[in-house]
Amino acid sequence: MEPYVLSNAVAVGLLAGLLWALVSARRSRVWRDAGRELLRRRPIALTVFLAYVAIGLLDSLTWVSASSGGTPQGDSVSLHKPRSTIDRLFPDESYREKSYSAPLADREFLGGAPLRHPGRHLLGTDILGRDVVYQTLKGARVALLVGGFTTLIAIPLALLFGVAAGYFGGRIDDAVFFLISTLASMPSLLLLIALIMALGRGPAQVCLALGITGWVSFARVVRGETLKLRELDYVHAARALGASDLRIVLRHIVPNLMHLVVIAFVLTFSGLVLSEAVLSWLGIGIDGSWGRMIDQARDELSREPIIWWNLVSASVALFGLILAVNLLGDAVRDILDPRTLRERA
Amino acid sequence: MWAYVVRRLAYSLVTVLGVLLLLFVLFFLVTNPDDIARKAVGEKAPPQALEQWKKNHGYDKPRFWNQKHPTDTMLVDHFRRMLTFDFGNSDADDTPIWRRLKSGAGPSLSFMLPLFVLELLLTISLGLLVAFFRETYIDRMGVILCVLAMSISTVLYIIGGQYLIARVLRWFPISGFDPSPSVIARFLAIPVLVGLLSGVGDGVRFYRAVFVEESGKDYVRTARAKGCGEGRILVYHVLRNSLVPILTQVVVVIPYLVMGSILLESFFGIPGLGSITFDAINANDFATLRTMVYLGSLLFILGQILTDVSYTVVDPRVRLE
Amino acid sequence: MTSARGGLRAGLFLLAALTACTNDPYPAADAGKKLLYLTFDEPPKTLDPQVAYSTIDHLVIGNVYDTLLEYAYLKRPYTLIPGLAMQVPTPQVLPNGKVSYRFRLRDDLLFQDDPAFALDGEGSKTRQVRAQDVAFSLARIADPEVNSPVFETLAKIDGLREFSERLTKLRAEDPRFAQRRIDEQYALAGPIPGVRVAGPLELEIVLSESYPQILYWFAMPFTTPVPWEGVARYDGREGRDLFSEHPTGTGPWKLVDYDKRLRIALRRNPNWYGIRHPEWRAPGATYPETGESGDAAAGRLSPSVVGRALPFLEGIEFRREKESIPAFAKFLQGYYDASGIIKESFDRVIRNGELSPEMAAQGMSLSKSVLPATYYLGFNMDDPVVGREAGEQGRKLREAMSLAIDSKEYTRLFTNDRGIPAQSPIPLGIFGYEEDYRNPYRQVDLDRARALLREAGYPGGIDPKTGAPLKLSFDSPDTSAAALLQYQFFVDAWRKIGLDVSIAATSYNQFQDKIRRGAYQIFQWGWVADYPDPENFLFLLWTPMGRTHGGGPNTANFSDPRYDELFLEMKALGNGERRLELIREMRAILERERPWIELFHPESYLLTQAWLHNEKSPGLSIPTAKYLDINAEQRAELRSAWNRPIRWPAYAAAGLSVLLIVPGILTYLRERQ
Repeated sequence: MEPYVLSNAVAVGLLAGLLWALVSARRSRVWRDAGRELLRRRPIALTVFLAYVAIGLLDSLTWVSASSGGTPQGDSVSLHKPRSTIDRLFPDESYREKSYSAPLADREFLGGAPLRHPGRHLLGTDILGRDVVYQTLKGARVALLVGGFTTLIAIPLALLFGVAAGYFGGRIDDAVFFLISTLASMPSLLLLIALIMALGRGPAQVCLALGITGWVSFARVVRGETLKLRELDYVHAARALGASDLRIVLRHIVPNLMHLVVIAFVLTFSGLVLSEAVLSWLGIGIDGSWGRMIDQARDELSREPIIWWNLVSASVALFGLILAVNLLGDAVRDILDPRTLRERA
Repeated sequence: MWAYVVRRLAYSLVTVLGVLLLLFVLFFLVTNPDDIARKAVGEKAPPQALEQWKKNHGYDKPRFWNQKHPTDTMLVDHFRRMLTFDFGNSDADDTPIWRRLKSGAGPSLSFMLPLFVLELLLTISLGLLVAFFRETYIDRMGVILCVLAMSISTVLYIIGGQYLIARVLRWFPISGFDPSPSVIARFLAIPVLVGLLSGVGDGVRFYRAVFVEESGKDYVRTARAKGCGEGRILVYHVLRNSLVPILTQVVVVIPYLVMGSILLESFFGIPGLGSITFDAINANDFATLRTMVYLGSLLFILGQILTDVSYTVVDPRVRLE
Repeated sequence: MTSARGGLRAGLFLLAALTACTNDPYPAADAGKKLLYLTFDEPPKTLDPQVAYSTIDHLVIGNVYDTLLEYAYLKRPYTLIPGLAMQVPTPQVLPNGKVSYRFRLRDDLLFQDDPAFALDGEGSKTRQVRAQDVAFSLARIADPEVNSPVFETLAKIDGLREFSERLTKLRAEDPRFAQRRIDEQYALAGPIPGVRVAGPLELEIVLSESYPQILYWFAMPFTTPVPWEGVARYDGREGRDLFSEHPTGTGPWKLVDYDKRLRIALRRNPNWYGIRHPEWRAPGATYPETGESGDAAAGRLSPSVVGRALPFLEGIEFRREKESIPAFAKFLQGYYDASGIIKESFDRVIRNGELSPEMAAQGMSLSKSVLPATYYLGFNMDDPVVGREAGEQGRKLREAMSLAIDSKEYTRLFTNDRGIPAQSPIPLGIFGYEEDYRNPYRQVDLDRARALLREAGYPGGIDPKTGAPLKLSFDSPDTSAAALLQYQFFVDAWRKIGLDVSIAATSYNQFQDKIRRGAYQIFQWGWVADYPDPENFLFLLWTPMGRTHGGGPNTANFSDPRYDELFLEMKALGNGERRLELIREMRAILERERPWIELFHPESYLLTQAWLHNEKSPGLSIPTAKYLDINAEQRAELRSAWNRPIRWPAYAAAGLSVLLIVPGILTYLRERQ
């Protein structure tokens, strides 16, 4: 199977999962109210975040087709490659320059030769003449991948270990607590770096490493909450009625942890994306991320005359996403749980 | 209490063993000693030199099981050496790692300590300020500023700080380090400032939450009802009763005081442990890297024990059992 | 209580920081001294002269250890002059076909003072340099435990390889032998026939074959005299230094501080022969009286220096600068005396190939030189698709790919046009470089490239087996953002002719593994000359240097019987008509076979401050600090003039925060009412 089919399947799966979660959440009054409240409190942040998600989705679904135009000297390589909607919106033959050009310029930045596509680059082009708007848009997918995909690794892990430890207690609790305290006592950035050096470099490895380091603190919270839930009357009642442990966990414990999951998801998200920027700075980030763009562009700030558009575009895009998520995170926490997670602020 | 401390220490030892096991998996199972050796001795070296190097660094032993000498394996070696603090030599250039640690701890401490103290003072006082003005526009502005500050990547603070302060305004050297007391401050000014900026948002928000929560409690209301001034309440009651969360926050930072900051040190050319770690990453120096991770974990574990003990000092209600 | 003391400390710190508001990175005490300030980015790997091979290693070692021969400072093409030796020896062919060189050391040469020479007690001592010390160095090169990178090259010295084998055998057989002092081990392992100590100061080197380039090796630190006392003492045990960090040399400078991550400091070595015996007027210790045509105009032949005894400076300070941008900014602030030009600031510093008016007004000067180096893309000739197995098809593919790469554009984008497009492996300034030679496959011609691809069986770049563009991989051990951008340039170029090249940038270890298994296709590499001879470039494609099988630097694994034959003949010849003929034929083979896509020969632009005199870029990595001079007063004046801090924003910021706080308090009071 071609790799792009797999990545499409993952994207579709994620989308379907998200939709299913939304639909099933709508059935519960608590969640419906929470959603309304969020929309009321943070309409702008929510819109901005959804816009990022939309761009990321547009860029996640790729397919191969030879349809797109194609001049006689057409770029036969990209015709045979899976391309997303975003790729198709910015075909090389109508957006590629030789090197730097300033935003909306009609001449090359170095040397001043006329551009091939004057005035078309809203945010200019980079050293290889690639459009900056295009690259910035492409970064959205990577950021969502880092934030979203990684939380999808971390949260099930945290749920599994946290619930098992909290519900069963005893030896299992000891073992899980040992694992958690071991991982938590290692400096997180160093552990991340060590993991990436051991796993190798690449987007999947970075996400995996972030996931492995990211689940620990959340597992602690889940464990604590499960300890409390376990002693509630209806759980005792279910047990007395002879319900199996699995059934109790799935029907009575996990659903009551969902608000924590949502909060953890939003709170971890921005941290992960920022971590990736730091990793890029250290040379072990993911290709095409905003962190990588910033890393590439930091030298350009010292150019004279200054080349600012690469750095500014990537930073603003990164900043916008993180700010939106942080604002949403605050609101979600306030709405769903004003107390439990306060210490983790 | 002593029984508690002893039990706590015993438990910590188990955690340390866990850390060591994980390090073994990461640094000995997944990596290939031949590659490390090749990088170290250079591409032109003959095979004998490669073998010699592996022998010198203990990478020639079997990983888990040695038929003849069951204790002569990498696994046993790793545990024995780490637990006895015998870190051996660097994989990159054969310098004894202890010498490196000694040379790096000073610069790291001289950079991180002022940063830590200033950050604590700044975040707590700003937190108090915002809590004092809670529910006014200053509070709302403060919170928004905090979220803004948190949303900017540290990387951008570094770029911006260096560009503005060192190049445009020429206040301090762009980078570098000199440990002599007469000049050290000027080298640390920008990195400390950048460190402060990148940490202040998170910190202020945290302390604000702590203080606001504390000032909603009954005893504060009583004090207020008695006519105690708001400023006096914050400093004498709220701050004092928030010492436990403050202490918790402080201890988390302790390992970094010594271990330094990878990002800031390496970018500003401070030759501390953080930049040693950075160099080790770039040079594939696994021996140094695993020592750093190990020491960081040790310091963290120690710090946690210290916090628990100090809780009893700060808050007489806490009793350790 | 901690917070009170912490507050005090923090306050003091703040106060200190504010009063010390200056960007001067050096202690005030050094302000008036004639010290040369330079930078290094990666720390030296080793200071062991028999091992060190990188530029930064040589930057330190070359100044600390003198060599038997040196290069004339101002002359081009490079010419050898005597250093520690009395004269440059001439080869004598012996009756048995071997070639002999006789060196005679100067009288009364001393090593630098060092505790290692105080064999019977405390304090620093020195001793005379003897021919035996050069023989000791050569024995170290053969010692497998030293792990010298040049052993294979110098194995042409008669009996050196046998000595190495004897030494290994003795050590393996007798553990007690391995415990003996190092010079005794060498003595017991027996004499090396090709290294004959003919008298206290006389040394004869015998080569088993003709190799005129050997003299260049005596101008490199590998063959510098090394005292056994230093090697024996600095073994890293019991708190002693390592020899690789504690040089015991003969040069004009000695190492006084070696903090690899911060500072490397050299000061005058009072034992240097030039300082002790200026009356000798030795060529290596006297400023030259003649140079090239441009030297007088560049102020390098001013009467105040010509013929004077060296050195002029008090010492050299190397400071670590990991990042190029801060380093260059400090240079512009006057805190470094010389610097290359980073690409980010190029347009500000250089206008139309000359120094910009602003820079010229600051008194800086620019010197340009083409380095004896070649950057290239290589194909792995062992690969079934791009290599020799693919026969005609593979050759045409390589030719087509070569035609797609625009060196001119590459240097424009990535090196600010600093570099001349390469036509063959041999760079400007090396014998065999011909200015008017144009390699037909190094001119950009996409139509011809497409035609060749069609002939190769990949019409439009489509691989008939898959029906999709031919997939190739570009392998690299560099994952930095800057490197990836450059690789992307090549990928984009090949994309234009329909080839789908992907970048496989992996960690160094993974790359090594690929090299070992021969599992790589296209790579980028560069080679900087060790010495100015075409042999030093053409051997990079010689079969015995093959990478995958021999571990040599022929990473392309190129192997061509005719080329090898020509190479062997060319190597043994001195520069002349016949040699040029051979080089031309070798070049023609490379032109057709295309194991390499030659990119460019880099050009170095060196900026020097107004107060630095006599600078001339050497190109090769050879030490030149002893020829330089500095006007320290002028430097101090200009530095302070260039670095007046702009203070008003500090006051403005303070004012602004007051403005923010006051209405806050007012609002608070109002709302509380």
